[in-house]
Amino acid sequence: MIPQLGYLSLTIALGLAVMLAIFPLWGAHRGNIQLMNSAKALALGVFFFTALSLLALTYAFIVNDFTIAYVATHSSSLTPLRYRITAVWGGHEGSFLLWIFIFGLWMAAVAVRSNNIPLIMRSRVLGVMGFVSIGFYLFILLMSNPFETLLPYFPIEGRDLNPLLQDFAMIIHPPLLYMGYVGLSVCFAFAIAALMTGKLDATWAKWSRPWAMAAWMFLTLGIVIGSWWAYYELGWGGWWFWDPVENASLMPWLVTTALIHSFAVTEKRGIFKSWTVLLAIAGFSLSLLGTFLVRSGIVVSVHAFASDPDRGLFILAFLFVVIASSLALYALKASHMRSYVKYTMFSREVFLWGNNIILTVATMVVMLGTFLPMIHKEIGLGSISIGSPFFTEIFSYLLPPFALLLVITPLIRWKQNRFDSVKKPLFIALVLSVIIGLGLLSVGQSFVDNLALMGLILSIWIGISTIQAVLKKKPVQAQGFAALKQLSGSEWAMVLGHLGFAVAIIGMVMTSSYGVEKDVRMRPGQTVNLAGYDFNFVGVKNISVENYTGHAGTVKVSYDGKPVATMVAEKRVYIVQQMPMTEAAVDAGFTRDLFVALGEPFDDGSWALRIYHKPFIRWIWFGGLIIAFGALCAMMDRRYRLRRKTLSQQALAEQTATPQTQEAL
Amino acid sequence: MSENKRNLWFFLLPLAIFLVLVVFLLLGLFSNPREHDSAQIEKKLPQFQLSDLMIDGKRWQREDLLGETFLLNVWGTWCVTCDQELPYLTELRNQGVKIVGLYYDQEIDPDFGESMDITALRAEVKDKLARLGNPYQFNILDDTREMLLDLGVTGAPETFLVDKHGVIKVHHLGDINPRVWRSKFARLYSELKAGQ
Repeated sequence: MIPQLGYLSLTIALGLAVMLAIFPLWGAHRGNIQLMNSAKALALGVFFFTALSLLALTYAFIVNDFTIAYVATHSSSLTPLRYRITAVWGGHEGSFLLWIFIFGLWMAAVAVRSNNIPLIMRSRVLGVMGFVSIGFYLFILLMSNPFETLLPYFPIEGRDLNPLLQDFAMIIHPPLLYMGYVGLSVCFAFAIAALMTGKLDATWAKWSRPWAMAAWMFLTLGIVIGSWWAYYELGWGGWWFWDPVENASLMPWLVTTALIHSFAVTEKRGIFKSWTVLLAIAGFSLSLLGTFLVRSGIVVSVHAFASDPDRGLFILAFLFVVIASSLALYALKASHMRSYVKYTMFSREVFLWGNNIILTVATMVVMLGTFLPMIHKEIGLGSISIGSPFFTEIFSYLLPPFALLLVITPLIRWKQNRFDSVKKPLFIALVLSVIIGLGLLSVGQSFVDNLALMGLILSIWIGISTIQAVLKKKPVQAQGFAALKQLSGSEWAMVLGHLGFAVAIIGMVMTSSYGVEKDVRMRPGQTVNLAGYDFNFVGVKNISVENYTGHAGTVKVSYDGKPVATMVAEKRVYIVQQMPMTEAAVDAGFTRDLFVALGEPFDDGSWALRIYHKPFIRWIWFGGLIIAFGALCAMMDRRYRLRRKTLSQQALAEQTATPQTQEAL
Repeated sequence: MSENKRNLWFFLLPLAIFLVLVVFLLLGLFSNPREHDSAQIEKKLPQFQLSDLMIDGKRWQREDLLGETFLLNVWGTWCVTCDQELPYLTELRNQGVKIVGLYYDQEIDPDFGESMDITALRAEVKDKLARLGNPYQFNILDDTREMLLDLGVTGAPETFLVDKHGVIKVHHLGDINPRVWRSKFARLYSELKAGQ
């Protein structure tokens, strides 16, 4: 009964979405205030009924309702409750429901938190979002109904959730990533609304910038957690695999990184407008493209859901309607835009433009690497595969110029600057970072690796120059560090974002240059040495927990005779799916991770073990978290809040001037 | 005005790129890997050194397979279509066709550092072959997937017809049923058999 209500709610949500796509936009076109005002209620209604539907599916999982096909294939009565709940997004249908729920959440957030924006703009934004959501609702209702029943013949036991997904990260990784993906739709809607009005100005940038920051923050967090999850759960020992679906999340991230920088220029200087709009459209388009990749089965990936060309065709048609019409609108409107603002070659504008170029090139590279194998095959040239060596090489070429821009840009002013004024601090910072980088490497490591040295020097250089940029700010120069509090949220975002990037780069280059691994066959009691650590294999015990059984191998680690850690690596067999799983043991540390995975037993009582020493790997995710925190600071920027107040007062003034306006504040 | 027009073309560029991408995505969606001719025909069976699926310590290599025309059948217990063809393959075996199994374990991917539970696998294989018929003289276990890769296998089931010199004559994707056997294998098989 409850699941049927869930389906009904979705149908109602579709109806409301259709109304949301028509009335506010029509109202904005005709200047009808009442129609425009309906946007808020309609958006909240869409959200409410989608939430109901998600709750209904969650309920079906909690009570083990195996008459629902989706529940029966993604859960079992043995599955622990927390994973029964996360199983809601453990498969194609349910994760799409989560996707549209989150879309509704953003829509509701825009409806509630945008009183500072003129009514006409707000109704256009919500109308565009409503229009986009129609496609989502049609898709879930027609092509992938999560409430499909198995009645009258239903199984008494479900098939259990894929053991890979029975993990804490599964609880947070998909929702965070979807918050990011879907959040890009807000910027997209703002861009389309602005194109409709034809008014792309600094105010528009100011309105959309916090939303871009929010989506970008979630996207960053989602990617970071996904990378961390792949590292410890999949037992691959790596942190990024250039898998097509990972690429699908990286592309919108790169574009949105470019977007938030381009927004800064548009907001401060009123230029780069058409470029910023294009990035806003591209960000969401790429996130839709990612959805297509994952759900059509067109690429082979660990993330891909079961392939279904009909679904793929539907999403492709939807992509075509949304993206092609946006890009056509863009071509028509943006070609008439002109900006007349003067700036010289050596100015912050030009350097941020350089940043955008590099990020766009990086996006193109990822796109090429992801789609070229498919295009190659379709042209009839046979199958090729593009893997991590290709990406690693190109990204190692893109990194130095990008880092250089990161070093210089915060130090120079808008409009124009003389190179002489930044020559000294730049040079001092460079010398310092070469000394520190070389010193650290030759003291801490057995040999000096070129990639690591380059990455380390660039990262330290970024760090130093970011601090120099802070010290150059007027209040800091006047009052010392006490003035740090006066830095605005956006300034903090720049500082944290850049420092986080430097930290992550250190993690990446150190791990790839100095990480070592060993495959060993060990009897209980034997000891093996890796990177100075002694790994003593104690033995293997049988385990039997909730929905799996298996073996747990204990390894005692010591360094120079001093005990460091006791690590327990498991091999599990999940009862329902009879699927074996490797649960690696990780001893996390600030400067290194130790990683042990248990392999197969041999007849003589010895076991295969895989042992890794990964220096600084945690810095990658730590850097990502710092970046995300920086984005949070930007969202909290007082400027946006103050602005909101003054704008509301303006709106109030307008309202009193025209009494027939019934704008609720 | 002409400048404006040139401008418009420039701004249409993103749309054009997107449209090209859509065309390829559409093609990719409907492309059928089975339509592409296998690159393996008339090539020699690759060299390999692999263990037997059922017998501990027994190793197989290329030379062990030569001397007689045979079918190399890629299969796995996880593969539903394989279940469909097992009875018919058994019938072929009873007619005297030599069939060698190349076992493809899908759930364990050696690239991800996993390795398999051989005891459980053997029990599963034994059970399946007892129920649906056992067409195989023996089964080779490709635990590293290298042989599968060399053969250009895209999934299971797939079947190769190999002559006595170890040259691949037919590469069939999908199940073997009476119709497929008649149209694609039977004539060639009897010719090769006669030439022996």
